[in-house]
Amino acid sequence: MMARAVIRLLSRYAVPILFVVVCTAAITVADMNLSRISTDVLERFFRNLFLVLSLVIPIVAGLGLNFGIVLGAMAGQIGLMTVQNAKVPGLGGISVAVICSIPIAMLLGWLTGLLFNRTRGREMITGIILGFFANGIYQLLFLILAGPVIPYHAKDLLLPQGMGLRVTINLTSVERGLDDVMTIPLRTSAVVQEGTPGAKVQADGSYVKVTRWGEIPMLTLLVNVALCVLIWLLFRTKLGQDLRAVGQDPGVAEVAGIKVNRCRIIAIILSMVLAGIGQIIFLQNMTVMNTFQSHEQVGFYAIAALLVGGATVTRVTIWNAIFGTLLFHALFSIISVAAQNPKLLNSPQIGEYLREFFLYAIIGTTLAIHAWRSRSAARAS
Amino acid sequence: MNFKTILPLLIITSLFLACGPAPSGGGDVVIPEYPPVTAKTIDVGDLDFKIGILTGTVSQGEDEYRGAERVIARYGTENIIHKTYPDNFMTEQETTVTQLMEMARDPEVKAIIIAQAVPGTLPAIKKARRERDDLIFILVAPQEDPEQIAKNADLVLQTDDLMRGKTIIEQAKEMGAKTFVHYTFPRHMSMEILSRRRDIMRDLCKRNGIEFVDANAPDPTGDQGIAGAQKFILEDVPRLITEYGKDTAFFSTNCAMQEPLIRASLDGGAIFVEQCCPSPTHGYPGALGISIDEEIAGDMAKIREQIGKKIAEKGQAGRFGTWKVSMHIVMIEAAVELAKGKVHGKLELTDHAMIKGFLEKCGNVKVELGPFNEHENFLMVISENVPL
Repeated sequence: MMARAVIRLLSRYAVPILFVVVCTAAITVADMNLSRISTDVLERFFRNLFLVLSLVIPIVAGLGLNFGIVLGAMAGQIGLMTVQNAKVPGLGGISVAVICSIPIAMLLGWLTGLLFNRTRGREMITGIILGFFANGIYQLLFLILAGPVIPYHAKDLLLPQGMGLRVTINLTSVERGLDDVMTIPLRTSAVVQEGTPGAKVQADGSYVKVTRWGEIPMLTLLVNVALCVLIWLLFRTKLGQDLRAVGQDPGVAEVAGIKVNRCRIIAIILSMVLAGIGQIIFLQNMTVMNTFQSHEQVGFYAIAALLVGGATVTRVTIWNAIFGTLLFHALFSIISVAAQNPKLLNSPQIGEYLREFFLYAIIGTTLAIHAWRSRSAARAS
Repeated sequence: MNFKTILPLLIITSLFLACGPAPSGGGDVVIPEYPPVTAKTIDVGDLDFKIGILTGTVSQGEDEYRGAERVIARYGTENIIHKTYPDNFMTEQETTVTQLMEMARDPEVKAIIIAQAVPGTLPAIKKARRERDDLIFILVAPQEDPEQIAKNADLVLQTDDLMRGKTIIEQAKEMGAKTFVHYTFPRHMSMEILSRRRDIMRDLCKRNGIEFVDANAPDPTGDQGIAGAQKFILEDVPRLITEYGKDTAFFSTNCAMQEPLIRASLDGGAIFVEQCCPSPTHGYPGALGISIDEEIAGDMAKIREQIGKKIAEKGQAGRFGTWKVSMHIVMIEAAVELAKGKVHGKLELTDHAMIKGFLEKCGNVKVELGPFNEHENFLMVISENVPL
């Protein structure tokens, strides 16, 4: 009886347990500095969460994992380019970028939605291919038409010949525009013995060492919380209920008088707009945009994070997104550094291969566990 | 709105746009010149702090990794932290940032050398500078926008790809080339230096009566990956040799394409002046099946001799070339010395005589250098080509 309960508990929380075990092992074996890890994980978490959350709505509406958010990310980047061209600084710049990106993301979302309605049941592969296709158009637009046709003129944006954008755009006007409005540093201080590296002497002669655990960008946090609340509210409105009904059974929804195709297009448009904003949040933190590459794998990493958080192609909650982002990026940052630790392996490149192997093996295992669990759940019912 | 009526229109418009005029150099092509610099070296003292070196793994390009190993062999792992950026550095930039920040957050690290400075370097430097303003960043072969890099790094060393536009065409002419094929793809052509070099090459080909072929290859970081790009090169080179004849010199802007390009050029009897990153160890050993064992590893003269033997077996001696040494290895070694000098307050990283001196001393080779776009901390370096 007891054993069965333990097994059930283990299988229910298999993924978090797996993550905690692997991360703890990596930290212990490689003797890693916890404060550096937490700083890195916090930064990655706040920069990625919005993008991951942008995937939630299409899953509920039965469109599966929206690999098409690459297009939304492009819209966000177009917004950022425009702001960098006009040199609108700080938070105002971020707002202008968001405002610029929304109509483009809506248009792209509408077109994607039309396509997805024609390829029903194969939305995911369509989304991946669409991403490649859109990338071609994007390159054409910004390698040839930017300058002569698209009225960008800033010197730090255009190549010297006046045609085409630079491969790297330093987002000087909006860099950390959202994050730096207000940050709360996480610090602890401890009294230590004399001679400890980094310790500072106090007025009373004791030595205190301050450890930085990272910082929380309050406005970014607020934006993410607001999005979570909005998504939660959305599914309590008529539209949200319709989306849910379409996701559960499009046939029944159609009979019930819900315009299925329209709902699906709305879900994609919302996802695209959010992805555009998510990419703006991501890049204002990175502070540098790789014009032709930054968007490419957005879909892949956001989706991996969401799946690690326990979401499936058909079922998702906001908590999946939050825990997924946290676990995925914790693993990424810990394994990256741990595998290359000289104490572990005396070769940085074997560490790099080990990192890739470990990381994707764990993500793969996680997905297998989910598949296995949902199948046994289906059998039980 | 009827989508079916718009769609053909959209396709036709985009085709028109795609067939429009190719981006050209815009204005006159300026052939670069160097100001004269006399080499100078000083004693920079011992390494009493830590230096971080970030390189790729050997699957991305072996030279930088070996360069870091040579430095470790001299100074030991207690003073040199060697880390690698991901093979998929284009899509895993966050990992590059994580790796660099891990080094930057170690207070004993006073200088970080990044070779090659792949995308992700610039955000990482900006993040590191927020936390520490005393860190020295020396970059080798940056891939991000040069203007931005020059503003953010302390010293940037790059093989002078613009000047090589001149030297490669001169060398190709000497080797008897009548046609010059330049393989690249849009992402590389959006890099200022590479696209300007293409224009210089085109211009000089015209002046020297060589036909210039601007060939497109798939981007190895794109959907087909490295394998797709390599397969394309293996298939396309014989086609072009049939079209333009054997006196065709091949060149590609991408590292992953060098091995198939050398193999296909050798099999087809064509000319190959030098690689994208000229070095005896780049592309040649893999293409010719030369195993670099312990005995010859790092000995550039011996490696060159082995390559020469294989090329002579095919009766192609004198139609293949490369540089005497790998400049990236030399740059990493010189960067360590320069970082020591800077941290000890013995030199400035804008002192061109000193930089030239340390490059020549570390590589035992002749070097010419000059600033890029008047950035005193961004130096373009060139070494000598030797036919194999």
